[in-house]
Parts: sequence; structure tokens; C-alpha cells
Amino acid sequence: MSIVSNLLLLTLLGVLLNVIFYKSEVVQKYISLIIFAILTYLSIVMYPLVGSHFEIPFLIAGQHIGFTITYLNYYFALMITGITLLTVIFSLKFIKGKEGNTHYYTVLFLKTFGMLGVILSSDLLTFFVFWEIMSWSTFALMSTGGEPAHRSAFKYFVFAVTASMILMAGVILSYSLFGSFDFAVIHGKMASLSLPMTGFLLTIFITSFSIESAVFPVHSWLPDGYSNTFTTFTAYLSGISTRIGIYGIILFLFGVFGIQTVDKLGIIGKINFRYVFGIFAALTMIVPTFTALYQHDAKKLIAWHSVGQGGYMLIGLASGSALGIAGGMFHVLNHMAYVVLIVFAIASVEYRTGTTNLNKLGGLIKKMPVSYLALLFGIIGLAGLPPMNGFVSKWFIYRALILGGYPFLAIAAVIGTLGTILSVYKLIHNMFLGQLPERYNDVKEVGFSMQLPMWILMIVVLGLGVYPGLAMGLIAKIQVSLGLAAVPYALHGIKAASGQLDMLVVSAVFIGGIAVTWIIYLLGNRRKHVGQYNNYAGGNFLNKSVAYNFNYEFYAALEHVIDPYRKKIIERTERGIASVTDAVSEYIRRIYTGMINTYGIYVVTAFVVTIIILKELI
Amino acid sequence: MNTVLWIVFLPILLFVIGTFMLGYSRKYVARIERRYGPPIQQVFYDIFKLMSKKTNISHGWMHDFAILMLLGGTLLTMYFVPVPGFHFFAQYGDMLVIMYILLIPALGMALGVGETANPNGSIGISRALMMLAGYDIPFVLTFIGFAMINHTTSMYELIQVQQAGGFAGWGLISQPLLGIAALIALQGMLGEKPFEVMVAPHEIATGPMTEMGGKFLGIMMIQHAISIVVELTIYINLFLGGAVNWFDYLLKLFILFTALISVNAVFGRFRTDDAVRFMWKIPLPLAIIGILFIIF
Repeated sequence: MSIVSNLLLLTLLGVLLNVIFYKSEVVQKYISLIIFAILTYLSIVMYPLVGSHFEIPFLIAGQHIGFTITYLNYYFALMITGITLLTVIFSLKFIKGKEGNTHYYTVLFLKTFGMLGVILSSDLLTFFVFWEIMSWSTFALMSTGGEPAHRSAFKYFVFAVTASMILMAGVILSYSLFGSFDFAVIHGKMASLSLPMTGFLLTIFITSFSIESAVFPVHSWLPDGYSNTFTTFTAYLSGISTRIGIYGIILFLFGVFGIQTVDKLGIIGKINFRYVFGIFAALTMIVPTFTALYQHDAKKLIAWHSVGQGGYMLIGLASGSALGIAGGMFHVLNHMAYVVLIVFAIASVEYRTGTTNLNKLGGLIKKMPVSYLALLFGIIGLAGLPPMNGFVSKWFIYRALILGGYPFLAIAAVIGTLGTILSVYKLIHNMFLGQLPERYNDVKEVGFSMQLPMWILMIVVLGLGVYPGLAMGLIAKIQVSLGLAAVPYALHGIKAASGQLDMLVVSAVFIGGIAVTWIIYLLGNRRKHVGQYNNYAGGNFLNKSVAYNFNYEFYAALEHVIDPYRKKIIERTERGIASVTDAVSEYIRRIYTGMINTYGIYVVTAFVVTIIILKELI
Repeated sequence: MNTVLWIVFLPILLFVIGTFMLGYSRKYVARIERRYGPPIQQVFYDIFKLMSKKTNISHGWMHDFAILMLLGGTLLTMYFVPVPGFHFFAQYGDMLVIMYILLIPALGMALGVGETANPNGSIGISRALMMLAGYDIPFVLTFIGFAMINHTTSMYELIQVQQAGGFAGWGLISQPLLGIAALIALQGMLGEKPFEVMVAPHEIATGPMTEMGGKFLGIMMIQHAISIVVELTIYINLFLGGAVNWFDYLLKLFILFTALISVNAVFGRFRTDDAVRFMWKIPLPLAIIGILFIIF
């Protein structure tokens, strides 16, 4: 009881204090810092309590509000509190004096409250209530930051309400089927349910969570919503908020329904529920990743990747093998670490230059080396290259897909990775490399409070890459607790019968290679650093007034190749969906005629129908 | 002890082989064009000259570090690709690891060239990355297909499977569609014509190498020599049955390389979008059909 209620009450206290002291930014930020530090500490020391169950001693509709600590929600609680703490540390300076920052920490606390409630809840009703709190606070987070933010937050609102309604339908349906809200009870009675009904119920839940985790056809709210708000919120939202949808999918797929039940849901031959889910995940990897190539705004580019990387997690879960599921879960953590790192680096640049427009920046490596290093670590993780963490989880996923016999899903993962490499190079090149515009000549590196979270995340990104076993221990325990096979992990990799992975050896050989090269490098004469205008220009002379840079339309040739497909397939499909939605909404709208006698007829009809149904029932 | 000797001498060995192959390629193309061509050891002279240059110009610390990442990453790949008699590191990383550590040198170079602040360099990198999206998709797809039939992603085990089947067990013979697709993709991976869009001396002043001079260019040439051998070895290991001994290995390297530079010698250069389109229109469908054959 103590820790869970402390966690939730402390976040509520945070909300309250921030509302009270809404005028003083200084008080707000220190209160938030202290409370989030305590929250992080509490969620770390929660570990011995794994397996325990708590109830709040009052009833809602005859149901207890119940919480439970499992390995799965311990994993997520750690991520939530940890990343929020880092976000708060980064925000101390970042949001200072920014317009619309009065309720910055309040919504952050509210959001954390919702997320912690969702992941700790042990029954559907509690889950749903906190889910609503979380959705509303996401809306609040997104709508801070001016007029475009309001508009894009409204887009999210429409999606979130739809998702909530679908989820509510699922909650009501499962209560009428099982007579209980408790996850454990539902799981116990699952075997007695008929297969079509199981499939229907699972589809309801997965659809709802897919909207929240931005799976391909229902992802369009995310990029605008995430990129128009404060940049720190962009980090927070793409790092952890979207992944609560993934938590829902993990919980329902493996915890509530169980992998055995899910695997019974065959369609034709090898095509089963998981496979169809995998196809959506594959589309989520490819389409948003290549859309990211076209972006000219750093935040928007990362927001699109945040959609795309969700596809990796989902495809890992869909593969159904121990390795794939572990990869999917591990990728949630890895993605959180590197994407927040990347957005922090972008935020640092924004803090100093005031823009995130990729066509206007350049050459900042000379001025902001720490931010550059942070972005470099982040993009190597995002692109999934050794020795960073993103590679390890992606390796699990590729291998699970290849050995599980899903070649086309595997190639989708590879295509997604290539698209990622291309667009992240554009990101780092246009911001930090190339020519430094004259107007940024006196830009300085950001201060300590903004550097600290970046250094911590850099250590995490590299550390989890070289020692994946640090996280794999917990993930293996989650797998066992969900009744799945555990991955045979070691501290620095995977021990499998064929084709092992040892990240320590890979990193050591890499460092050895660099050392050897360094010796060769030292054999030559000393190098001399020169300025950016001391450059080859085909015999012409360069000076301050010459723009000598290539960053606009970085991948024009590739866009030329992709464009026809994009126009034919994606845009046509989207337009189709839009017109269908339009037509359906138009029909629904006609119900509201605005004439009093029509409504009278509705009321009378509803009354008659209710009486008939009641008579039938009684 | 044996392993230590291999670790020490393998880079030197592959460097010498690669340098002679580059020299041979220059001579071979020259003879096709009815020129006399430079002596076969010319690449050695070039590297020696570049390494002993008096002035070495650099644009910043990333430029310096990029060159270390470039050759360091290539050496990393080299150790993980099995050659006859040496497969010590194969137990620590499989073909998937190799696929992705192959990209480290490319990334290193891309970052370094970016810092040189030369648009020719940036255009070269942009072209190289677009080309990567072109050739890597079919290449990885062929590997995925091949790994799927044999239920392993370990390159060493794939070699053993092929060698157990004799000549008919070679990837190129048992899965001809995958083998041909990978061969075309390999041409792109080596950056030979018609896929030489990255360097394109007449268009973008040798692209990534524009601002590289002195020992920087020298290390790039060393890296180029080693990486050519490594990339050819990957193809040999996947589709030409690996190599039983060093004679077999060198023979296969020689034949494969000659085949590829023969194509290089008689072709012009594709435009970047055409090169990518070619990769997605010829090798990619071939690889997909090859995989469909495996599934059904």
C-alpha cells in the first residue's frame, strides 16, 4: 500500500502545489525537482514489493480501486519517473521566461499521475479511469505553446476520444462477459470464451491502444501534436507517453489474453492475428520513416521517427518468439533513452539559436560540442548501429523475424533502418555540420543544468549498448512472469546456439581498430586546423558573404524516386479514408436535425425499445 | 597464440592484397582503354606519398576523429568476417552484426566530411547515402532469404553449410536469383561504375574526398583497399561457398573482382535517382522472387 499510494499521492501533491504557486516559477521548479527526485527514488526501491497487490479502501460502483506491482509495471514505472526527472532538470533553464509556461509543471505532474495510475492498476476500471486522466493531460501538454499547438492538440483530442470510447466499449463488454474487472480473473476465464468473441474483444483493445501508440493508419495526430508544443514536451511525449500504448498492448496481448489464446486466432494458414498486427507494424516502420526524410523541421523529423520506431516495438511483440518480445520491450527503453537525448540536443540548439528549422542552421559543432556529441550518440542509437543501445534491440528483432520465418517483415525492418540512417544524417548535418552562418558566430554551449541530463542519457545509451544484460535481467523476469520463454541473456549480449552476440567484444575490437588507426595517423606529420573559408571552391575565393553550403533538399534524387509511390499509394489511401469518414460523419450528423419533433420521435422510440428489451430480459 | 598472430597479421595481409587488387584494377582498365597504365604497385607509392605529406589540413576535431572511425570501423568489420583459417570472432557476432558494422565507416566518413563544410563533400555523402538505400535493401534481402533456408544468421555456419554440399551447395548455384541480386548490389556497394555516383570526379570534385588531403587521404586509401577485400569476402562467404584454403580464397577474390571491374570499365555513370531506381527495379524484385521460391 505504502509505496504505490505514496507515488500517486506525491504526484497529486505536485499538481496541487504547482497550482497554488502558479505565479512563482522559482518555487514551482524546485518543488517539481524535489518531488520528482523522490518519485524516482520510490520507484527504484519498489523492487522488493514486486508481486504485491493493494486496494484503496473505498468502492466505486461496487469495485475496489486496485493496484498491483509486477515486473512489467516496475519496468515502466522506472522509465516514467526517471525520464520525467531528467526532463525537469533540463527544463529548469529551458522554459525560463517562455510564454505559456505557467502550468508547465502542473500538466507534467498530471500526466505522470495518469501514466503511473495506468501502469500500476490491476483492474480494467482503474485502468480506464487513469487512462482518461492520462489522455486529458496529454491534450494539455500538447496544447501549450501557441496557436499551432492548440490546433494540433485538437487533432489529438479527436483521436484520443475515439480511442477512449473504443476502450470503454471493451471494458463494458468484458465486464458483461466475465463479471469482473480484475485482470487476473479475466485471464483465468479467458479459456472459456469462444474464439470469435476473443478475437473481437482483443481487436477492440488493440485498436484502442494502437491509436494511442500511433500505429500506421491512425498515426496522423502525432507528428504535429508532438512538434508544436515545447521542445522538452516533445522529448517527454515521444520518449514515454506514446509508449503507454505499447504497455497496454503488452499487458493485454500477453498478460490478460495470453500468448496461447492469441495464437489460436488463426485466419488463413500462417496468417493469424499476430501476423496481421505485424503487417500494420511493418507499415508503421516504413511509411513514417520515409516521411521523416521530407521534413525541414528538426522536431517534426524526430516526431515522425517516434511513430516509426513504435513499429519496431510492435513488430517485435508480433513475432511472438522470446527473442522478438524481449527486443520489443527492450526497444521501448532504448528508444526512450536516445529519442529524449536527441530532442534535448535539438532543444539546446533551439535555446541558443531560437530555431529548429533545418534549412537555417549549420556548423554549430564548433560552438556547441557537447550538444553535438549528445545528438551523435542519439542518432547512432536511433539508426541502430553498434555500439549503441538501439542496435541491440533491433538485432533481437531482426533475428526473431528471420529465424521465425517472416522475411518480408524482416525486410520492412531493414528498409525502416535505412530510411532512419538517411534522415538522421540529414538532421545532424544540417544542424551541426557544414558552414556556420555568420549570425551564429557568438552562440555558446548550454549551461550545466541542461548538459547534465544529456551526459546521463549518453551514458545510458552507450551503457545499454555495451552491457544490454543490465536491462535484459528485468526483461527476462517480465517474460517469465507473463508466462513466456525467457531470453538466454548474458551481461554483454545473447547466448544462443547459433549466431551469438557479444557487444563487449564488438566494442572492444572497434576501440582496438581506432587505436591502431590512431597510431597510423600519428605516423604522418602534424595536422593543422583551418577555418571554414579555407576551402576548395573550384578556384574561387570564399568569404563571409558567400553561402557555401548544401542542406536544402538534401535527398532530392531519392525523393524523386519515392514521390510517385508516395502520391499513388499513401496519399490516395489517406484521401480515401478521409472521404469515407466524411460521408459516415455526414450521415451521423443528419440524426441531429435541429427540429424539436424529430427529437421527440427519438425519445419515444428509445422509450419503446427500452421497454421491449426490459420485458424480454425480465 | 595462433589467434593472436592472425589478429596481428590479418590487417596487414588484407591491406597488401587490397592494394595489389586496386593496382591491378587500374592496370586492367588501362589495358581495356588501350593505355599502358601505372605499375601494379602504384597504389603503395600513392599511400606512401600521401602519408609523408608535410601539410595536413583539417577542419576540426570531428574531421580528425572521422578518419579514425573510418579505418577503425573497417578493421572491426574485417575481424568479424571469416577468412580461411581464421573465424575467431564469428562466435561473437553474426551476419546481422556485420551488416551494421559495415555502416560505421560510412557514418564516420559522413560526419567528418560534413565538418569540412564543403558542399561538394556534402553532396557526395548525400549521394552515398541514397545509394546505400538503393543497394542495401536487395543485399540484405538476399541474406535474409539465405539465412532463412539454413536456419542460422551466423556467417561461419552458412559457409559450412555450403561447403558440406560441395559445388552444388554454393549459394549462387542453389539460390541463383538471390546470388545474382546480391552480385548486382555488390557492384553498388563497392561504388564501381555504373553506381559510382558518390565520387563522380567530373561532377562534384571527387565528393567526400574534396577536402581530404595528406595523411587523411592516405588513411582513406588504406581503408578503401581493406574494405574492398572485406566486401568481396562477404559475397564469397555467402554465395561462393566460402573458401577452403588461401589459394581457393585468392582465386575466388581474383575472379570475382575481375568480373566486377570488367563491368566498371565499360560503363558510364548513372544519375543518382536512376541508380537507385535500377537497384529497386532489377535486384530487388529478383531477391523477392527468390524468397518467394524459398517460401513456397
